[in-house]
Amino acid sequence: MTKVITKEDLLSWLRQLAEKYAIIAPVTSNGVTLYKSVGSSEIDKINLNFSKTELSPKNWFFPPSETLFTIVKDELPRIIPASVDREAILFGLRPCDAKGIALIDKAFLAEPADVFYQEKRDKTTLIGLACLSPCLECFCTSVGGGPADLTHLDILLTETAEGYITQATTEKGKQLLTGAPRQEKEIIPPVLPSLNLILAEGITELMPRVFNDAYWDRVADRCIHCNICAYVCPCCYCFDIRDYVSKGKIERVRSWESCQSPGFTRLAGGYDPRPTKGAHFRQRWYHKLLYFPPIFGDIKCTGCGRCVRSCPVNIDIREIITDVQRMKV
Amino acid sequence: MIEEIRNKAKELLETKTVDCVIGYEPATDNLTSRPVFIYEPSQVNRLIFDETCVHNLSKYLINRRYKPTGIVAKPCDTRGINLLLNEKQLRRENLFIIGVVCSGIRKVRFNQIENSMPTKCQYCSQHTPVIYDFLVGEPVTEAPTHNYSDITEIENMSPAQRKAFWSEHFDRCIRCYGCRQVCAGCYCYECFGDELDPLWVGIRIAPGENWVWNTVRAFHLSARCIACGECEHICPVNIPLMLVNRKLEKDTLHLFDFEPGIDTEIVPPFATYKKEDKLGTGE
Ligand code: SF4
Ligand code: SF4
Ligand code: SF4
Ligand code: SF4
Repeated sequence: MTKVITKEDLLSWLRQLAEKYAIIAPVTSNGVTLYKSVGSSEIDKINLNFSKTELSPKNWFFPPSETLFTIVKDELPRIIPASVDREAILFGLRPCDAKGIALIDKAFLAEPADVFYQEKRDKTTLIGLACLSPCLECFCTSVGGGPADLTHLDILLTETAEGYITQATTEKGKQLLTGAPRQEKEIIPPVLPSLNLILAEGITELMPRVFNDAYWDRVADRCIHCNICAYVCPCCYCFDIRDYVSKGKIERVRSWESCQSPGFTRLAGGYDPRPTKGAHFRQRWYHKLLYFPPIFGDIKCTGCGRCVRSCPVNIDIREIITDVQRMKV
Repeated sequence: MIEEIRNKAKELLETKTVDCVIGYEPATDNLTSRPVFIYEPSQVNRLIFDETCVHNLSKYLINRRYKPTGIVAKPCDTRGINLLLNEKQLRRENLFIIGVVCSGIRKVRFNQIENSMPTKCQYCSQHTPVIYDFLVGEPVTEAPTHNYSDITEIENMSPAQRKAFWSEHFDRCIRCYGCRQVCAGCYCYECFGDELDPLWVGIRIAPGENWVWNTVRAFHLSARCIACGECEHICPVNIPLMLVNRKLEKDTLHLFDFEPGIDTEIVPPFATYKKEDKLGTGE
């Protein structure tokens, strides 16, 4: 016997949870599916049949822009840190996206932790949806993930004709699930899809050997340095910080940035340590495949395929990994 | 068609007329296409041309302005080349343009070809390249027509409706600046969006700043946008940028009787001053 929740019960459970929690879930409008905050009266807007959202759920913890703190001028300057008032449920995550969050955790929660990120992270429960019809560009199984991987989730739901199979993996998840209206049913679990495989194993060892290869200049020829790959990626986390100064008030604002933007490494005086198009372009792949792994134990890619899908000029990480494997010098 | 392009590219590279030909090759979905830079005559068989060749390759010429370069260009893309020549960003003698007659392409995304045409083709009446050294296909002589029904629709909205319409779209902009990076007309060494002193727009990715970005970007392209539709095509959150661009195109046409990129020589309205120029859109 397996515990399942029917679609109707799931929605009314979410409606009920929305009274207490902020619910962030996939919603489709204007032809794009994005994670949005939905109130209890908007639960029906949640798209349960989406394939993959255009932007990743990292936006919830690491938003495009956020005020880190405000300094106001009273008698003495006072620093008011931003804070999150409500606990949240991030609903409808794909397992790869949960892994994306886990990868950002490694960098942002390592000591000293990024407190702004940590606060939102601590106050959020992750409910995932297993991927039963992955997109053609997905390759999670090649980089250690899987369509029903529950490692980085609090709860995983898997759709069947009888309802959603519920699995809780953490205390937080178990606690939340106790309130869910579930039934015991005889269920045949769905067959998980198999994905196209690429050979990613050993890539980290190969990267240093091809650093100076003309390959990077050639692929960079067509890159337009648009930031799209980094902004849609569930585990890219570069940012910029500036102060917004107005009368009696200073706001410190953090916004997304990316190694692909034109002035990313341009220093005062104009010197740029990544002066060529190829060097500029190469950074993305070296950060993901060489610099991150020895520190944090994983390559910085979940196999979600978003950059593959959204890159205007078809720079395809699967092709890059495969090409480097072939170069084997 | 494709044989003609490949043979010409091969000849150009073999005779060292150019040292690179920019064209299209199949993308990794085996369905659509992507830009390719061909440096060796032996590689010309990678070149393709079909209804998925959406990219405006003229942007790439800016990086190669001092190097002899061949380029495969659709009519809208050739308007981009004219724009850059007119603005003295390229040298004509360094270019070899393989123009391709085009009656419209398809709306594409990675691994997806739709049955419809992109906005740019729906309203395009320029089917023959406006500048070329070698033409592929039969030139079409058709008097260009102008249809701005989509723009009239927006103009007929009340200011409040229009504001709501654009808020809905601009609010979700993530300021990736993809619309700028892909644009042939955006080649400033330092874009106003990146400039710190003076600070035109803050880094905050939020409605106020997004409005500034999206409107000023469009204004910088008024009487310059050549309607290749690339910004709208690549926008990761599907913002209908061509509606802003085409509004400016319509106004420029009516006020100055000018269409960007059609000709290399005509001085564009914002590069000159004439006493008889009309002022404002209200006249
Ligand atoms: S999305 Fe593609 S073109 Fe844009 S910066 Fe990334 S790799 Fe380059
Ligand atoms: S596939 Fe691309 S977008 Fe997805 S995690 Fe890997 S690098 Fe990021
Ligand atoms: S491409 Fe779209 S999301 Fe990116 S900056 Fe332009 S309008 Fe905004
Ligand atoms: S938006 Fe304006 S300032 Fe920025 S690159 Fe384009 S033309 Fe230049």
